[in-house]
Amino acid sequence: MTKTKSKFNGWMLTAVIVFAFFAMFIIFPIVLVLYKSFVNQATGQLTLGYFVKFFSRKYYWGTLINSLKVTLCATAFSVLIGLPMAYIMKSVRIRGNSVLSVLIIISYISPPFIGAYAWIQLLGRNGTVTKLINGIFNVKFNGIYGFWGIVLVFTLQCFPLIYIYLCGALKNMDNSLNEAAESLGCVGVKRIVRVVVPLILPTLLASALLVFAHVFADFGTPMLIGEGYKTIPVMIYNEFMSEVGGDDGFAAALSIIVIGVTTILFFVQKYVSDHNMYSMTALKPISAKHEKGAKNIIAHIFVYLIVFLAILPQAVVIYTSFLKNNGGQVFTGGFSLQSYRATLLGKDNSCIFNTYIFGLAAIAVILVLGTIVPYLTVRKRNAFTSMLDTLTMFPFVIPGSVLGIAFLFAFSDRPFFLSGTAAIMIVAFTIRRLPYTIRSSTAIIGQISPSIEEAAVSLGASEKQAFTHIMVPMMAPGVLSGAIMSWITVISELSSSIILYNSSTQTLTVSIYTEVIRGNYGNASAYSTILTLTSVLSLLIFFKLSGKKEVSI
Amino acid sequence: MGVDIDIDNVVKKYGNTTVLKGLSLKVNPGEFFTLLGPSGCGKTTLLRMIIGFNTIESGTIKINGNIINDIPTNKRNMGMVFQNYAVFPHMTVAENVAFGLKYRKVPKDKIPLMVDDILRTVKIDHLKDRKPSELSGGQQQRVALARALVINPDVLLMDEPLSNLDAKLRVEMRNAIKNIQQRLGITTVYVTHDQEEALAVSDRIAVMHDGVIQQIGKPKQIYQRPSNIFVATFIGLSNILEGSVSSGSGGTGKVLRFRDFDYRVALCNLRDGVKDGQPVKVSVRPEEFIINTKGEGIKATVKRVVFLGLTTHYFIKLENGCDVEVIQYSNDQDLLPIGCKIGLTVKPSAVNVFEAESETTLIKGAENP
Repeated sequence: MTKTKSKFNGWMLTAVIVFAFFAMFIIFPIVLVLYKSFVNQATGQLTLGYFVKFFSRKYYWGTLINSLKVTLCATAFSVLIGLPMAYIMKSVRIRGNSVLSVLIIISYISPPFIGAYAWIQLLGRNGTVTKLINGIFNVKFNGIYGFWGIVLVFTLQCFPLIYIYLCGALKNMDNSLNEAAESLGCVGVKRIVRVVVPLILPTLLASALLVFAHVFADFGTPMLIGEGYKTIPVMIYNEFMSEVGGDDGFAAALSIIVIGVTTILFFVQKYVSDHNMYSMTALKPISAKHEKGAKNIIAHIFVYLIVFLAILPQAVVIYTSFLKNNGGQVFTGGFSLQSYRATLLGKDNSCIFNTYIFGLAAIAVILVLGTIVPYLTVRKRNAFTSMLDTLTMFPFVIPGSVLGIAFLFAFSDRPFFLSGTAAIMIVAFTIRRLPYTIRSSTAIIGQISPSIEEAAVSLGASEKQAFTHIMVPMMAPGVLSGAIMSWITVISELSSSIILYNSSTQTLTVSIYTEVIRGNYGNASAYSTILTLTSVLSLLIFFKLSGKKEVSI
Repeated sequence: MGVDIDIDNVVKKYGNTTVLKGLSLKVNPGEFFTLLGPSGCGKTTLLRMIIGFNTIESGTIKINGNIINDIPTNKRNMGMVFQNYAVFPHMTVAENVAFGLKYRKVPKDKIPLMVDDILRTVKIDHLKDRKPSELSGGQQQRVALARALVINPDVLLMDEPLSNLDAKLRVEMRNAIKNIQQRLGITTVYVTHDQEEALAVSDRIAVMHDGVIQQIGKPKQIYQRPSNIFVATFIGLSNILEGSVSSGSGGTGKVLRFRDFDYRVALCNLRDGVKDGQPVKVSVRPEEFIINTKGEGIKATVKRVVFLGLTTHYFIKLENGCDVEVIQYSNDQDLLPIGCKIGLTVKPSAVNVFEAESETTLIKGAENP
């Protein structure tokens, strides 16, 4: 028994090291936030003062209401667009559908705040479209800032998520279900309402909740296009930034409130997807049919219009990046590479390298942890590794800005002095993305039969050798393509990096944001184009590697 | 020549449930030994204890007299073939087969020769460079077999290796497995729930139920002289009738009387000490019933007739309301019509008699060893 025990300890040691990492970078910062929100820093006594302050003034609690309103609206619109898009794309033959679906994915993987500022350029105070409308109709339209601006950007940003999920569900729906319904006399719209929608409803709900959580926690979009309309992540940022060095308690309390909401969402989402999913595998999936007449035309118009609107921000940004400007805010007409000269060759172009280097470093850590942790929690299941598994879910409910604040609380001072370092950025990126990678790797391991490893051991490999020689190579393609998706999200990360960066650790997203705030749209567009190009290239590599034209998020 | 396996009083617990409560058996060198039983009977658990994937809570397993309880799996030198093949999907056939050799310090230049040799033995040498995804289920199972055999294991363990194959391939593969096993003379423990498969390949079979061995014996013995009602009904079909035994008038033999019927037969193979008037259960194989159209024997009516070519199955209702099944070789006679009144008789030497309560055999020499 002694032999097997020592091997077991090897895995346990790994588990303990991983736990130490999580304890340091997940538990410790969050506990600190919790502590700060309930303890008065001056007196050191327990207090509910920060929460009372929040709920007693409309200026504060109004932001929570604003957030919920924006989130509900954006989620509803995303569903209203995503659902018909998915159904039409799967059931009607649309010309150029493969290009369209890639465009939808591209619109999803670009950071939402880029969408926000692109729409400002179109529909803002001095936007191209605004001027056009005002000129033609002779009105004084002042641009879409505030509530509707935020909803517009989030809707166009988030419907692809609903679309991607529903396409997956529809793909697994066997066409014989439709045929059975039709043979029983249930046809047309009635069939869609009574058979198709109930079958994909759980997926629809689950993806809608994901959108909800995503929109609720986003900081960049309402910051740029919200103007006076403040949401709670914006409030957290403002309160924290104006109070650095002073009283952090209120920012901490805000963070706890946000975490409360996201936690409830997380559990509802988990409940829905655990209890209501139908497991379907289609032998004969629904195939897109050639439609004729009005039906065909309407379907095409709808799909093309939506895809056009979704990809428009990207196009605007790329277009803008080639415009000539006066070196500042005003475009002087004509094209030039001036913005690229100012950014790519500028003296503070380190943000580009920072983005790549931090991103790669984070992905390396994610790859290692994303392979080992799921292996431990699936194959070496015990009380300790189960707890590890639960811990890895925590970052799901921690919005980026909250994580940023928590990290500054935890690691700014003695003994760490990590604020403003590359390390803190990399760790933040890792923690932000880790739960997604771990979920997908867990699914990958779940698909590998335990007897594969047992076969290796029976043939003479030790447990460790079976892991490195058999499991790792078998998991590699799945984990690697998952890592590319992680890479795309990591380089688009803004909400934590905007809080954690300093001048030497600025990333592309931070640069875009600061250039937009300064009104320097030319440079912002050039940076955005570089980011988008990187994302699209990564996406193409992902397609190549995974051999399919779909993504899972 | 192969090794022997001595399993002595082993216990397996999962949490609070004891799956095996002190099980013992011996496998002879070079023997093809099958663990047969319904799912959940503990047969796979026992197999996994032999190879070392399951711990042994108490008792010992010895190979050639040496206790292996504490030897890790990868040092036991046993080959295993899994139900789902467990062929490494990212390696070619040749790489799969060579995998075990790499951990055995076989000289590099010898590996390809050994791989080719074993692939020829299992008749897939032409598939050497294929990936598993390009192979059929039967071919994958041949790869798994070759991979387990190439390391020259002391023991070959097979866990329901044919259950994922279709019926025809199953027969083909079981013959191939038996041939190869015989040729190599390797001690083999084979797990299956398919009784026909077990009868076809095994030198000896252990029938298991609820973690307990019901009977160990040669296929013919287990089929013809089951040690209890479970074995009688699990292996093949058996009709169970009730009756009683009493001393015959002649003195030496006993007389079996079928309950509810005026039908008796004389038995001379009952164990000593069977009490007079003792209630018994009688199992009769469907093919051991003799149909008597004159109505002698157990009175019954034909309910349904199924013609299967080689044999004809009659579903018959006895006068006391019991249903029995009778199988007869189809010959050139006409099938019996439905509703036909018949009598059923048995050949005394072909029936099995069990104690009514314990359901264990009363036949001489058929006891559980």
